[in-house]
Amino acid sequence: MTAPDRTEPPPPTRRGFIDWLIGLGFTGWFASVAYPVVRYLAPLSSSAGGAVRLSAEDLAKLDRGQFVIVRSGEARVIVLQVDGALRALDARCTHEGCTVQFVPGERVVWCACHNGRFDLEGRVLAGPPPRPLGKWIAAREADGGVVVTRGKA
Amino acid sequence: MTALPWLLLLLAADPADGGTASPRKLPEYLEELFQEKGDDGQPVLSAQDRAKLEALPEHTVQLIAEKMDKLTVSGAPHLKRLLTLDLSPQLAELVFQDNCIVCHTDAEAQKKQDLFSPDPKADGSPAHLSLKEVVSDVHFRKGLSCSGCHGGSPDAPRMTADIAARWPKKEDRKQGRAWVVDFCGRCHGDPSFMRGFNPGLPTDQVAKFKESQHGLLLLQKGDPKAAQCVSCHGVHGILRASSPRSTVNAARVPETCGHCHADAQYMAGYTRADGTPLPTDQLERFKASVHGKALLEKGDTGAPACNDCHGNHAAQPPQVASVAQVCRTCHAQNGALFDGSKHKMAFEKHGWPECGQCHGHHDIQEPTDALVSDAPDGLCGSCHKEHAADHPECNQGAAYFRATIGQLAESHHAFEPRIERFAELGLDVEPILASAAELEEGLIQSRARIHAFDRGGFDLAAAPARAAVQKTEGLLAAAEQERRFRRNGLLGAIGAGGLLALALWLKIRQLDRRRRGGDS
Amino acid sequence: MSQARRGRVLDWLDERYGLRPLLDFLKHKEVPRGGHSLVWYYLGGTTLFFFTVQIFSGVLLLMYYQPGEATSYESIRYLTTKVPFGWLIRSVHCWSAHLMIVSLVAHMFSTLMLKAYRPPRELTWVSGFLLFAVALGFGFSGYLLPWNELAFFATSVGTDSVKGVPLIGQWLLEVMRGGQDVSINTLYRFFALHVVVLPLSAIAIIGLHLLFIQRQGMAPPMVHQRHATARQGLKFFPDFFLRDLLLWLLCLTALVTLVFLMPYGPRIPGIDWELGKKANPLAPAYPGIKPEWYFLWIYQLLKEFPPHLFGLEGPQVALALVTVLLLTWAVVPWLDRRAAREQPSPAFNDLGVAALLFIGFLTLKAWDIGGLRPGQAGLPDAAASARACAFIALGAGAAVTLLRFVLARHRWFVLSGAALLQVTLHGLAGVGYLAAGAISVALAAVAVAVLRRRTPREAAAP
Repeated sequence: MTAPDRTEPPPPTRRGFIDWLIGLGFTGWFASVAYPVVRYLAPLSSSAGGAVRLSAEDLAKLDRGQFVIVRSGEARVIVLQVDGALRALDARCTHEGCTVQFVPGERVVWCACHNGRFDLEGRVLAGPPPRPLGKWIAAREADGGVVVTRGKA
Repeated sequence: MTALPWLLLLLAADPADGGTASPRKLPEYLEELFQEKGDDGQPVLSAQDRAKLEALPEHTVQLIAEKMDKLTVSGAPHLKRLLTLDLSPQLAELVFQDNCIVCHTDAEAQKKQDLFSPDPKADGSPAHLSLKEVVSDVHFRKGLSCSGCHGGSPDAPRMTADIAARWPKKEDRKQGRAWVVDFCGRCHGDPSFMRGFNPGLPTDQVAKFKESQHGLLLLQKGDPKAAQCVSCHGVHGILRASSPRSTVNAARVPETCGHCHADAQYMAGYTRADGTPLPTDQLERFKASVHGKALLEKGDTGAPACNDCHGNHAAQPPQVASVAQVCRTCHAQNGALFDGSKHKMAFEKHGWPECGQCHGHHDIQEPTDALVSDAPDGLCGSCHKEHAADHPECNQGAAYFRATIGQLAESHHAFEPRIERFAELGLDVEPILASAAELEEGLIQSRARIHAFDRGGFDLAAAPARAAVQKTEGLLAAAEQERRFRRNGLLGAIGAGGLLALALWLKIRQLDRRRRGGDS
Repeated sequence: MSQARRGRVLDWLDERYGLRPLLDFLKHKEVPRGGHSLVWYYLGGTTLFFFTVQIFSGVLLLMYYQPGEATSYESIRYLTTKVPFGWLIRSVHCWSAHLMIVSLVAHMFSTLMLKAYRPPRELTWVSGFLLFAVALGFGFSGYLLPWNELAFFATSVGTDSVKGVPLIGQWLLEVMRGGQDVSINTLYRFFALHVVVLPLSAIAIIGLHLLFIQRQGMAPPMVHQRHATARQGLKFFPDFFLRDLLLWLLCLTALVTLVFLMPYGPRIPGIDWELGKKANPLAPAYPGIKPEWYFLWIYQLLKEFPPHLFGLEGPQVALALVTVLLLTWAVVPWLDRRAAREQPSPAFNDLGVAALLFIGFLTLKAWDIGGLRPGQAGLPDAAASARACAFIALGAGAAVTLLRFVLARHRWFVLSGAALLQVTLHGLAGVGYLAAGAISVALAAVAVAVLRRRTPREAAAP
């Protein structure tokens, strides 16, 4: 065992000051290292998706009465054709984010994860989803193609 | 079975052997020649000559021996001369089958002015009697040897009257050169004959020549100094234009034309249509021009030579409009822009050459931005002063072009070092380079669009270029900001690190003091 | 955390895991003082620090890097241009790699000079030697990953030398390359090596290396180098550790400053990581292609050998020579018997100097120092380069010898003398490199034999 330290502690102000300085210095230093690393790790915001033109395959599916999911940037959009009218809604369920689907027989947009149900306008009919689905715009072009653009918020 | 002697021949005649194979037995006459000694007591023919002979096929060697024996010429120096040509077996056949050549290369039998030799200068013969030229001549290689032009027959052991029948007498030949045109034209103007040799070769040279300036002078005015076939193509060493050694190869055409046209003494007395003397500095100017440098220095056969503008067989001073059409074959965009412009009508009215008026003809230089000069003694200003005095917008237009191009070029030039600096510093310069490339493209288009002499058209190209300048400036500013951000970040990090380092150091000192004052 | 709380936590842990002996050990761990400067004791720590930086920056790079024909180069380009601070992470990784190797080599030579390898620390030296090999492996495998022109050709040249291994050379070459030539398959293998195999090996061997040091304590100075008044060692915790931390902080600051000032390295061939053009296997080799600087001596040595020597292929003999030299280096603790007896052993200091001169000369020559006039195109003048490098080596050698003679009072210069002799014969007298080497080695052997006979009492080799 070594001899015990001096009984009276050294002047607290000086020792405390240096320790405090170390604390401050360490914080500053750590921030200067952490900042670039955190920015580096943050996922890059991909540009908000612009207009999406449906492929021929997807158009055929629409005409058969099936729904189509397309990607616009990071968003997923569900496009469906009912009574000749095109509709497009956010495909990301407002509950936990699962991708919804269209059930033609019941004219309902349904989320399989927790049985959430939405009408064709996106309003919640049943189940846990807290908010309606966002609206998108699907427009028929002169050449018969379909273009999907972001609707008003 | 027939292969066997060939096989043996191949084995025996292997040149790479270097003489280790036993020497082939040559025909008797030739063997004798190898014994012959010269004035210095040494054998005239060397081991190398022997090797050359042995490299030839058996039947060729037989042929040689026969010819030389029959013509009973004292052979060794003669044979040596022929062997210096280093002929391939096929050419050796052609040469030795032709009695004309065998006889006319014998120094003992011929007068100097009739002697063909490998080196005419050394033998004191006329320059056109070069054997080396003859064996590379395109006519000779096609089988049309001496007799084809001069008459007679290659089998004839001596000169016959047939030769005089075709070949003009000396007095007639010396009188003027007009006979040459029809002499060559006898074959070259006959399509059905030429089809047998080179169906693709045109056969209208004589017809064209008769209309040309050279033709008019030679055939109508009887001027013997005027150029005819032989002046450009040579006589015994005629080569295809595609051969780099041919006098009418694209890269050598300026030199060939210049042979007469650059010689002030030769051209003295010749005048233009308006009476002014014909200049003789065209070749010099051409060599200094951008076309001349491209053709003669860089070897770019895409660049025009004399005949591209003047024609070759139909050589005439080109019509004003026709030269511009030639320019357009390469400089199409500028030509198209010019066609719609106000200068076109104005130049036509004055009878000025379209391109040549500003760019010159023989001495065209790389156009610089300074060419667009609204200064009173500059290119645009000097013309406008006289011919567009009551149209001030002309000079204003020139000034506008000059100013805009100048700004764009300066910006582009200033960007380069800045971009490089950022690249060195590790910043992302790809978008900036792309933007600078857009500017460069815009600059090129703007310079081209000057030829439309119209602000609207010019702005079509200048506007995107200006936009590119703005964009590049913006990107550079952003890059500078990023650089500053990085630098400040570094300084901040160093500051924070420094503070911590200071604190640690103080702590270490404190601990040391405690240790020294206290226990260990 | 206040003292009281700290004490309670420690007690809680101690009850469960019996930490007290560990804590006592840490409290008493010391760094030997009273001999040579403490400066040398920091070098192992700085190497470890740079290695840690490599791990952190490497993990960060892994989040964006994608190995693949169409993605290796592109992902790094994306990383360095579009990802925030991506340029920083990549440049830190590249700089720290070189700094780590510099630190490692300094650490290796300082332990050699201070004879820390003597018993009982032989295995520490051997594990350190293995770490050296692992570090070179890291450098070699990592170099290819950007899949740019430079890396592609440097790897082609580098892997080619493996052919020289007897019996399995060709097989080894194909296994390394994943085929006959360097291709994307080579990259996949190197990636696995660089990211999994080598890191695991490194951590294992570092663990051993540190375990040995903890168990045996840091090597004290040799008896004859201790001061008259032996001082007690410096406490590792907190005294030495705080100094260590301070030094690491300064190293980190120096690292980021270098990253800012020279983001692509000093732009010397072999120390330049500008991304450049993507690898094109069909393109002809890059003029002036060179492997990384720490391999330049092997590369140059291979060039000095003729195609055939003593009935074997030149590269085989060269590789054999390199193997012999490295193995000798690895077993130094067993060769140096005087140090084992705590006696001065200048011969092994001399070995270190000779190694530096030998490697240094070859490295300078590989850079064609003195063989190229500025802006000169075409092949460098090998003879002029050999001359210039010889002068530099002689100058350095003379300086070091003088210092050793005056300050350390060494009198044994056989090996460094042989190295300098080889350099002189080759560079100044125009003798072939191998011939000069053979002459120098022969003379050295003679000198050693003579010296041994002169000191019969010392039965062991000097």
